[in-house]
Amino acid sequence: MGEPVLEVEHLSIDYVVGAGRFHALSDVSLRVDPGRVVGIVGETGCGKSTLARAIPRLLPQPPAEVTGGRVRFLGTDLLTYPAWKLPFVRGTGIGMIFQEPLNSLNPAYRVYDQVAEAIRIRRGRDASPKDVPRSRVEPFDYSRGPPPVPTSSALAHPLAVGGLAARSAERAKSARSATWDEALDFLRLVRINDPETILGLYPHELSGGMRQRIMIAMALSGRPALLIADEPTSALDVTIQAQVLTLMKELIEEVRTSILFITHDLGVVAEMADELGVMYAGHLVEYGPVEEVFHHPRHPYTAALLKSSPRRYKADGALDSIPGAVPNLSRLPTGCSFHPRCVLARPECASDPGPSLVPVGTVAGAPGTHLSACLFASDVEAPP
Amino acid sequence: MGRSLTDLAVFVAKRLLFLIPVLFGVIVITFFFTHVAVSNPCAVWFPRAKPAQLAQCAITFGLHQPLYVQFFKYTANLIDGNWGNSPAGVPVLPVIAVALPATLELVLASLVLMVLIGIPLGVVAAQYSGRLGDHLVRIFYLSGWATPTYLGAVVAAILIGPFLGLPTGGEYTSTPPPFAQVTHMSVVDALLAGNLPWAGDALVHLILPASVLAFVNMGIATRMTRSSMLEVLPLDFVNSARMKGLSEFVVLYKHALRNALISTTTVLGVTAGGLLSGTVIVEEVFAWPGIGSYAFSAITGYNFSGTIGVVIVFAIGVVIGNMIADILYGVLDPRVEWR
Repeated sequence: MGEPVLEVEHLSIDYVVGAGRFHALSDVSLRVDPGRVVGIVGETGCGKSTLARAIPRLLPQPPAEVTGGRVRFLGTDLLTYPAWKLPFVRGTGIGMIFQEPLNSLNPAYRVYDQVAEAIRIRRGRDASPKDVPRSRVEPFDYSRGPPPVPTSSALAHPLAVGGLAARSAERAKSARSATWDEALDFLRLVRINDPETILGLYPHELSGGMRQRIMIAMALSGRPALLIADEPTSALDVTIQAQVLTLMKELIEEVRTSILFITHDLGVVAEMADELGVMYAGHLVEYGPVEEVFHHPRHPYTAALLKSSPRRYKADGALDSIPGAVPNLSRLPTGCSFHPRCVLARPECASDPGPSLVPVGTVAGAPGTHLSACLFASDVEAPP
Repeated sequence: MGRSLTDLAVFVAKRLLFLIPVLFGVIVITFFFTHVAVSNPCAVWFPRAKPAQLAQCAITFGLHQPLYVQFFKYTANLIDGNWGNSPAGVPVLPVIAVALPATLELVLASLVLMVLIGIPLGVVAAQYSGRLGDHLVRIFYLSGWATPTYLGAVVAAILIGPFLGLPTGGEYTSTPPPFAQVTHMSVVDALLAGNLPWAGDALVHLILPASVLAFVNMGIATRMTRSSMLEVLPLDFVNSARMKGLSEFVVLYKHALRNALISTTTVLGVTAGGLLSGTVIVEEVFAWPGIGSYAFSAITGYNFSGTIGVVIVFAIGVVIGNMIADILYGVLDPRVEWR
């Protein structure tokens, strides 16, 4: 399988707010191998986004405080990496897609300026390599994308608001350059029709789904070895969600980038991921190959999540839900944080925090890859 | 309405039309205040005149007529381009035409200082929000804010100028300069004449008055930049700029500041009024031959026409300052339409 792209080892992060201290991440370990897609699921507030932002060190410190662990990217520990060198890892090493496409593009610059910026950074680093962990992803083949749709005129496009955008698109067109052509390629890669017009527009002239496609194009244009997708579809309408997910699925086939896919949607993870991690209250409670976790969950929280998934909705019955609510991170229950809501809870669960991810069950061909943090992992029943 | 050049032209034309009611109001108020406050200006202008001479003076200046007649005569003349005379008989408009460029030079120089120093200080304050850098910046801009212009100007002229060896008065070391003053902006004139030593001399003379004006007015720009940077920095596009691999400097100044500047620009437009009124004291202290020191002498010399003339120019300055801010607002933010 080769050297892992990302290894998170026993990562613990607290938020220090006033006198309070919140354990946002507790002893989280995972690895992403080259070309693999690792999904992380969990409810709101379980620490998914903290994990996503901690890896490229985007968390503002304070309030965040790393209390232990390592984040190894291509063998280099990013947590001890000098801060001034971090920008050289981002973009060409680690790319990221954010949850809110409405906020993740700069409203003041045209799409072209923002995509071109990422392309120029990668070109600059190709030309003069620095001693930093970098992409090992070969340039991928754009030709597998759909052929560009020919357009009559940028002026005729319905999105050409106020004339100014359309005229600047015309102007930019006449100033074609290698960067412009490559930006077009990346927009075509994410299945944008009429990329010439789109490049000349401002983000506020585009729909949420279109902006998220551009975000994906921008992140991919650095050709990162690792792409972190932090709930890339959660803020979109259901129909647009499906489109963006289909796009991402197709891109996973085309682009040999490893992906850490963070979501609260089990259905999305089932379609996307090779491996799946389940998070609860800052802990990684179960980790394993995605079919294995889905069919033989070894943590009662995973089993409960699967049971409450709308995919299991039956016309004649009420939707199952997990009793109780996600605990407040400043007042976590003693022992296992899930025990107050757990159907399997026994007296010892209130005092014993349980193991931190031990191998359970056997996966055909790869024993010891299915991990659980439950004391009674073997008692967990798979949902019908 | 939209963002084309035609829209911009319509916008500017509308704003300039808006000048008419503003100027009318300003003229009415200033005219009646000045003429009511001083019951017999001739007696003030010529303290040793005999009663017969005073009566003659009143007729010469039209002061024997009812106030509304005086007002209509004055405005009629104003529209004709005759802005009246000083008590000594000097026409107001030519004097203002020479003094205004000198003031504009001073105001523009201090605006440049406010933009080049005040805005980056706001970025630094937001970047180190709640930490030492933030506190140091706050101390700096609050001390500027809390300083009355007259105190700042006098301290700069008496203590700081001599200490740093900077000139504390006038536009040049010796006047008149050996070249034609085409624009009446000291540095520009010297550059137009190709006389670099004199341009340097003029620039050195500009430092203290422009710095004082900038220092006492800068706080608002720094504070506005800081608070809007604090609003912009948590947004995702700042992180997505970081995740492209951009350096923190580019992230802050190209991506975050560009969006934060929108509110700073609005405030700078409002500050234009503060800068203009600040010139009255600063120019008087630094012997700057601009409209501020002319305003000072016009008011203290009961020069009614001069006073109203200065007020008209200041009102135009404030309206145009705000208009430029609104135009820049649309340039900075592609979502804004000029209307």
